[in-house]
Amino acid sequence: MVGLSTGEKRFIHGGIAQDLRSDGRKRLHFRPFCVETGVIPQANGSARVRLGATDVIVSIKAELGKPSSFQPDKGKVAIFVDCSPTAAPEFEGRGGEELSSELSFALERCFLGGKTGAGAGIDLSSLIIVEGKVCWDLYIDGLVVSSDGNLLDALAAAIKVALSNTGIPKVNVDLGPSPDDQPEVDVSDEEFLQFDTSGVPVVVTLTKVGRHYIVDATLEEESQMSSAVSVSVNRHGHICGLTKRGGAGLDPSVILDMISVAKHVSQNLISVLDSEIAAAEANAKE
Amino acid sequence: MLQSKSFVKKTKQGRVVKVVREHYLRDDIYCGALSCKVCDTSAARLTSSASTILIVDTNVVLHQIDLLENPAIDDVVVLSVVLEEVRNKNLSVYNRVKALCTNSLRKFFVFSNEHHRDTYVKEMVGESPNDRNDRAIRVAARWYQSHLGGSTQVLLITNDRENKRKAIEEGLSAETVESYVKSLGQPNLLDLVSLPTSEDVGMEEVEDLRPSKRKVIYNEHKPMSEITSGLLRGIYHQGKLRVNRYNPFEAYVGSESIGDEIVIHGRANMNRAFDGDIVAVELLPQDQWHEEKSSIIADDEDDEEEDVHLVPSSADDAPRNTNLVQPAAASTASTSSRPAGRVVGIIKRNWHSYCGSLEPMPMPAGNGGIAHALFVSKDRRFPKIRIQTRQLENLLDKRIVVAVDSWDCLSRYPSGHYVRTIGKIGDRDTESEVLLIENDINSRPFSAQVLACLPHLPWTLSSEVLANPNRQDLRHLRVFSVDPPGCKDIDDALHCTSLPNGNFEVGVHIADVTNFVLPGTPLDEEASQRGTSVYLVERRIDMLPKPLTEDICSLRSDVERLAFSVIWEMTSEAEIISTRYTKSVIKSCAALSYVEAQARMDDSRLMDSLTTDLRNLNSLAKVMRHRRIERGALTLASAEVKFQIDTETHDPLDIGMYQIREANQMIEEFMLAANVSVAEKILKHFPLCSLLRRHPTPTKEMLEPLLRTAAAIGLDLDISSSKALADSLDHAVGDDPYFNKLIRILATRCMTQAVYFCSGDLSPSEYHHYGLAAPLYTHFTSPIRRYADVIVHRLLAAALGIAKLPPIFMDGLQLTSIADNLNYRHRNAQMASRASVELHTLIYFRKRPTDTEARIVKIKSNGFIVFIPKFGIEGPVYLMPRGDKGGDWVVDEVHQKVMRTGTNISYGILQTVRIHMEVVEPQPNRPKLELTLT
Amino acid sequence: MEYVNPLTGFRLDGRRPNEMRQIRGEIGVVAKADGSALFEMGNTKVIAAVYGPREVQNKGQQINNRALVRCEYSMANFSTGDRRRRPKGDRRSTEISLVIRQTMEACILTHLLPHSQIDIFVQVLQADGGTRSACINAATLALADAGIPMRDIVTSCSAGYLCSTPLLDLNYIEDSAGGPDVTVGMLAKMDKVTLLQMDAKLPMDIFENVMQLAIEGCKAVAHYIREVLLEHTKQLECHRGA
Repeated sequence: MVGLSTGEKRFIHGGIAQDLRSDGRKRLHFRPFCVETGVIPQANGSARVRLGATDVIVSIKAELGKPSSFQPDKGKVAIFVDCSPTAAPEFEGRGGEELSSELSFALERCFLGGKTGAGAGIDLSSLIIVEGKVCWDLYIDGLVVSSDGNLLDALAAAIKVALSNTGIPKVNVDLGPSPDDQPEVDVSDEEFLQFDTSGVPVVVTLTKVGRHYIVDATLEEESQMSSAVSVSVNRHGHICGLTKRGGAGLDPSVILDMISVAKHVSQNLISVLDSEIAAAEANAKE
Repeated sequence: MLQSKSFVKKTKQGRVVKVVREHYLRDDIYCGALSCKVCDTSAARLTSSASTILIVDTNVVLHQIDLLENPAIDDVVVLSVVLEEVRNKNLSVYNRVKALCTNSLRKFFVFSNEHHRDTYVKEMVGESPNDRNDRAIRVAARWYQSHLGGSTQVLLITNDRENKRKAIEEGLSAETVESYVKSLGQPNLLDLVSLPTSEDVGMEEVEDLRPSKRKVIYNEHKPMSEITSGLLRGIYHQGKLRVNRYNPFEAYVGSESIGDEIVIHGRANMNRAFDGDIVAVELLPQDQWHEEKSSIIADDEDDEEEDVHLVPSSADDAPRNTNLVQPAAASTASTSSRPAGRVVGIIKRNWHSYCGSLEPMPMPAGNGGIAHALFVSKDRRFPKIRIQTRQLENLLDKRIVVAVDSWDCLSRYPSGHYVRTIGKIGDRDTESEVLLIENDINSRPFSAQVLACLPHLPWTLSSEVLANPNRQDLRHLRVFSVDPPGCKDIDDALHCTSLPNGNFEVGVHIADVTNFVLPGTPLDEEASQRGTSVYLVERRIDMLPKPLTEDICSLRSDVERLAFSVIWEMTSEAEIISTRYTKSVIKSCAALSYVEAQARMDDSRLMDSLTTDLRNLNSLAKVMRHRRIERGALTLASAEVKFQIDTETHDPLDIGMYQIREANQMIEEFMLAANVSVAEKILKHFPLCSLLRRHPTPTKEMLEPLLRTAAAIGLDLDISSSKALADSLDHAVGDDPYFNKLIRILATRCMTQAVYFCSGDLSPSEYHHYGLAAPLYTHFTSPIRRYADVIVHRLLAAALGIAKLPPIFMDGLQLTSIADNLNYRHRNAQMASRASVELHTLIYFRKRPTDTEARIVKIKSNGFIVFIPKFGIEGPVYLMPRGDKGGDWVVDEVHQKVMRTGTNISYGILQTVRIHMEVVEPQPNRPKLELTLT
Repeated sequence: MEYVNPLTGFRLDGRRPNEMRQIRGEIGVVAKADGSALFEMGNTKVIAAVYGPREVQNKGQQINNRALVRCEYSMANFSTGDRRRRPKGDRRSTEISLVIRQTMEACILTHLLPHSQIDIFVQVLQADGGTRSACINAATLALADAGIPMRDIVTSCSAGYLCSTPLLDLNYIEDSAGGPDVTVGMLAKMDKVTLLQMDAKLPMDIFENVMQLAIEGCKAVAHYIREVLLEHTKQLECHRGA
């Protein structure tokens, strides 16, 4: 873990209090995003997002599956995050598992909505092929290659970028003669169905250090946090999911305040990401 | 030099997997023209002076391969995109074009356009793979044109109208196959051009074939997607179609999905499928499963009749037991027996080229000399093929080769094109070649690479060979060989020494072929492909080159030869006390013929040591033979005939039964024993990869015809085991001396042949050899003429630890495929031998009408089949003119008799009749042997 | 299957039998690590990160006269065509971890760093054949980046034998053909083989040729790695100058 001296700790706290953080940012400033798409060619969609020294890769693979009996009209999405030991030696062996599952669940909460799938950031009904029989299962795999704080926001941004980069093969379905037959699905070679990502939210994590909260905390800043609230917000400013982490309690009014700040920050973030996506796509085409 | 470019490919292996492969583009791929100033010309193949080079598209290669193989077509560039498509569509055409591209006499060059920096094209959005490939071909053609400059014309040959139009728009020269061939000014080449299908550019001068008669004759084949889903749902069944050799209107599809053979009756149900095609079959409703009567056959316009042929030596040679005279009761009973079906689609065609002749027809008037003719394949399993030719007059009396191009449902017959002429019908050389082609026998001389593997001649025993501790020097032994007269490829020899303890040491010495044929060499590959030597009446097609078969390996007398020996110590009761195996050096003291050996044994005045050895061996062999028969080995009989051939004209002078002597049986006995000993040894060491030979127990169904015949004459045969059958065959003694042999011949033809297999593929209980009543058997004793023995020699050497097992044995699949090939080659070699004998029989009787005695072996509704023991042939005798069914002859099924109503004239099974044999020519150039009652 | 086209002599992807895929190395891809590198061989892409030399975390493992070298190999879920369910800890990963550790240990001057620990983590981002070799090459670059003293640079390359032809640097399709696959790791300058693995039967004389080809491949990789290191050092110098 990060070992900090008392002086360093005070420096961090003091900087945040005066709205001038160690790396020169203001409290609500993100580090510059660096976005690449299509980094994993054999996936249906992929993206690499770097946020300072934080570096994550997200890949999306689509597989044919069967919808669950509760939601016959929706496809399924599963999110897995793996923290590579390259990011920190502590992740060696099973060391990264706890953080990996924490991140996976937080992301699922932010993107997939409740048990019914209602309110999901990803439109699950667009994944259905034949109701009750065949659907697409999306596997979203995140890999943390390098870690310098704010993994959740980085992963969420990478998922959004990867989704916008995802092409799903077009399928022709041959329904069997009787309704009990498993339909024949013929996957076409070329035609890709572009995934609609306009509703996909971003995640903004506000980290409370001392009396103030900051966005995009570095590893060192995170070590000083008392609690953090991650809010996922879509383009229309709707909140799609929320997670509070950290031990200290928060005053409800502070939480509401944090949410409205997050909402505000998120709109900036979305436009930054959109332009990065456009730039990355243009790059990839070349 | 390397440029990387990834492209995306998706496969569906149950799951959706996105596959990404690298694709490197290069700048070091050369154009292959000798005149090129820019490229490296060391591997160039195109003529420097060529004014025109041809670029062909995929369909041209696929359909016009016969034309491309003609030396008139040269300076051809085959693009890798074309090659790849051809490989995916038709492997046999691919192999042929590959052979063209490697043949140093031809100027075919392969250009890797897919990996060339300037000719690689990426699939555009919405472009089909076909369009993309056509575009790739045009891009490559354009590259050639600009690369070679104005001195050389680049001509794109395509029959695809769209592709041709685009090419011309893009400034390329493009022509159809027909117009290009015409421009060459060799009209006969046009016969080789395959007819275009409807989507392609039509040949202007060809009008629709008999438009008034065009009606739908066959059902449309189902589209592939429907077939796949039908197979999946179990509505359709997939399998290889096998047409009955003796009744081309009946076929069988072995289906794994229903675990049985599906019978297909009639051409309409076969729906344009050829023998060997992989088809999808739909079962007919069960009430239509009855075997269709033979009379159905006559409804079709081909009228089939049986020809005189050699007596079958096993069930594989004989017609399926379709009972032509079926009692009413039996036909209702058989309704449910065998599933019947019809072909709904063809999954993979097995079209190749066929040997035969044109159906006689008058010369058509006018029409620019183009005639539409019907080709009749010699192999009756294939339908007639419609071809067009400009040399009809020339071809009518010839054996020709024809390839099939298409068969649409409007046409009764498939269409094809002429490939080449073999020679005049009836001519011995022509017909011999036909039978070689028909049986897929490679009779070409051995290639230079193969001959390069031979040791230098004259071969002599070197001191290194003698110094090898694994090779025992047995030159001191009195070894001799016994073979048919004039045998040059002697692969076995024997010795027999009396031991002081009263026992005998008996050695079987087999030519050490594997000392010269090393695994993996071109020589070995060739031998493995050929599988066996083929014996025709007038010639022999060797598996190995002559210097090996007749000299270096042949265990001739008075020369030192390498051998692989099996040596037993036996008691005088022929009990084997010990067996050892060794590589050896021997020096045979005599190469005897069967007649000589027999004469020596019979001449009581001779007391020399060699004769004593022979007598000792003979008495041992008798004991062994007796014991084998006790065990239940069948003494089966086949009617082998022998020709006396005129040394000048190679025409047969005399024909007669081959006489089997005691000496033959003696040699046979020791060879069997050696094979069994070796089989035990190799299986012990290599339980999973030994090559063995098995003879499946005949099923009751297979023995049915024998039992029916026996029952008709009041003979009771017990078929519960081979022992029981052997005993009851022994007891089947009639009033005439030939009766027993006749029954044995009938029994033999009910059995299938023994086959090679890989021991890992079956369970030990299936290894059994029924005919020899041996639990294990293999072939070890004839490595000069059988490749199976070569493999067994290698296994034995490895089992003894004197050689390493070649890597091929580690690969079960490969070993299985070798065994399959050997079975296929053996079967073909036998078919060819039989066909050769039949051919010579015909030639013999051409000038010699003969009266002789024959035995009735099968009763038919309009006559009976007779067997002529003297000449080993059988054929039909008709009691009424053909086509005149019903008549006044009545068949008595129970007693196997045919009687003339109102008289007491009748013919029963096994009855002796006098017949007249004469060669007649009902149609010009179609001689056949006819049998009539005298 | 014709892995080498008999008429043109090209492999399925357009290489000649003795050609390697395109290789690329990049130093310093993980900011927080002491040394890190990315290495690509065609579509095979791996990241190596080195932490150390540092204090031994588990005192029981401390070695008094030399450094403790540890290695972990993991594959990303998305690294293969068919999605993996377990990134690490299976037997194959454990085996490769061991192979990489032993190979790198043979090259690090461990006696200069007693009581310390060096961790090498390799992460496969994409697997398309030859992951072992790519991992070793990446680890070499990462160790050099971390400034860990080494005898020599160790590089690795594989070679196989298909269609009676020795083939350099098999990709996944060629690797799946079931033929032998010889992986060689060697100390380039000292000309010593430190890793040799083969997974099928091969006659001795053919094996010699295949191994020789793999050794040639190692030398080519070593040549490239030296260039990458040199370029990286020049850049560092440049930064410092500025």
